[in-house]
Amino acid sequence: MTKRRLMWALIILLSIGMLAFGSLRDSGPLTQQDRIDVITKRIACPTCDGESVFVSRAPSAQSIRAEVARQVGDGVRTDDEIVAYIAERFGGEVLLLPRATGLDALVWILPAMVTVVLVAALWLAFRRWRQPVVVATSKRSLLVSFAIVCVVGLGGGVLVARQAGQRLPLQTATGGIEDSTASLLAQARLAGPTNVTAAIELYGRVLETDPDNVEAVTYRAWLIMLSARQFDESLRNQAFVSTITALGRAIELDPTYPDAMCFLGIVVYRDGGDAKSAKEFVDRCLERDPPAEVRGLVEALASELNAELGE
Amino acid sequence: MKPTKVGVLGLAVVIAAFLVVLVLSDGDAGVGARSPLLGEPAPSVVTTSIDDVPFELGRRKGSWVVFNFFNSTCVPCIAEHPSLLRFAEDEANRSDGAEVYTIVNDDSDGAVRAFFAANSGDWPKLRDADGAIAVAFGVAKVPETWIIDPNGFVRLRILGSVVDGVLEEQMADLRASQGE
Repeated sequence: MTKRRLMWALIILLSIGMLAFGSLRDSGPLTQQDRIDVITKRIACPTCDGESVFVSRAPSAQSIRAEVARQVGDGVRTDDEIVAYIAERFGGEVLLLPRATGLDALVWILPAMVTVVLVAALWLAFRRWRQPVVVATSKRSLLVSFAIVCVVGLGGGVLVARQAGQRLPLQTATGGIEDSTASLLAQARLAGPTNVTAAIELYGRVLETDPDNVEAVTYRAWLIMLSARQFDESLRNQAFVSTITALGRAIELDPTYPDAMCFLGIVVYRDGGDAKSAKEFVDRCLERDPPAEVRGLVEALASELNAELGE
Repeated sequence: MKPTKVGVLGLAVVIAAFLVVLVLSDGDAGVGARSPLLGEPAPSVVTTSIDDVPFELGRRKGSWVVFNFFNSTCVPCIAEHPSLLRFAEDEANRSDGAEVYTIVNDDSDGAVRAFFAANSGDWPKLRDADGAIAVAFGVAKVPETWIIDPNGFVRLRILGSVVDGVLEEQMADLRASQGE
C-alpha cells in the first residue's frame, strides 16, 4: 500500500471512529427540566404550523408540555416512550423527527441512497477525467455496480433510520402494554359474557399485580358465583361464602363503588334467600348511581324485593 | 434498450406505484375520525366535575359513555349544543341510555356554568386540569366527541361539531354491532 493510500485509510478510520464516539457516548444525566425541553423540542404543536411544543404557546401545546412534565416526573417512561405516547395519541405528524417505520422510513433511506449514488457518480466521473481512454464497461459490470449502489444505499439508510428513528409502544425496545391492568380488565370485560372461565382467569391476573383492584375483586367474585350456580349445593355454598367475603372486601376497599354493592344484593337474595338484607344492599347500590348494565339487573330485583317484602 | 428508455420506464414504474398506493390507501369514510385508540381500552380518566363530584371512567363500565370536549368560547361547540341536548334527552329515556359528559377544555368553571345555565344541559361537566384528558385522547382542537362502549373500549371519534341526528345514528349502529 502506498503512503498516500495509507493516509486516506487513516483519515477514513479516524472519521468513522469520531462519528461512532459522538453518537454512542453517554451525554451524562440531564435534569428533569432538561429532559422536558429535549422531549418537547421533538414534538410539533398539533394546532400550529412549524412550531414545536417547546416554543408554542397554543393551549394544545401547553397540555402536551404538561403531560410530558407529568410523565418525566413519574420517571416510568423513557424519552422515546414519552414521545411515542404523544405520537400514538396525536398521530405521527407531530413527530419532528420522523419514524423509522412504514413510509416515514423513506425520509431516512432516500437521502442515504442519493448520497451513495452521487458519490459513486463522482467517483466514476473523476476516474474518466484521469483516464482519457474510455474503458468500455460491460452491461454485467454496470448491473453489478448498480446493485452494489442500491444495497449500500438501502442498507445505510436502514441503519441510519434504526439509529435515529422513534420506537413506538409494542415495539421490542419499549416493551409492551398488552399486560397492563387496564388492558387485562378490558379483556376480562370482553370475555365475561361468553367465556366466564377466561374472564375469571384474567381478573385473577389483575389481582396478582394489583390485589386491591376493586373492579377485579368484584367481578371475579360475581362471575365465580354465576358459574357455581350450575353445580351441586356444596360447591354453590362454597362459592356463596367466598363471593360474599370478596364483595365485602371490595366495599371496604371502595365504599363508593356501586357494582360491588349491587352484586351483593343480588347474591344475598338469589343465592342466600335473604330478602331483607338484599333490599338494603340494593337500595344502597341505587343510591351510588350504578352503570346502566348493572342498574338494569338491580332495578328488576328491587321491584321483586318490594313485592316480597310487601312494600 | 437505450439508457433513456430505461430511465423513462423506471420513472413510469415509480409514478404508477405511487398511484397504486394512493388508490389503495384508506381514505376518510363516514362520520368517525381515525384514532389509534379506536377498538382499544379507553385511557384512564380520573377527575372531578365542576361541582366537585369525583369521576372515574373505570367505574362507568356497563354504560355507554359519551365524552364531548368543549370550550364555552368555541363557536362550533356552541353550534352543536342543540344536537347534543336532543341526543342526551333521547338517551335519558332509554334504560341502557348513554351517559353524556362534557370535558371542559381550557376554560373556567364559571364560564362553563354560565354557558349551561343559559343553554341548558344537565349532564356532568368534568374538569381537565392541564389538559391531561385531552392529551390522553389526542384531542388538539375542540369540539370532539368520543363514544366508549360498556366494556370500556373506545368505539367512535367525531372531529368537529356533531350534526343533528348523527350521534343517534352512530349509537344505533354501535348498539347493533354489540348485539344489543
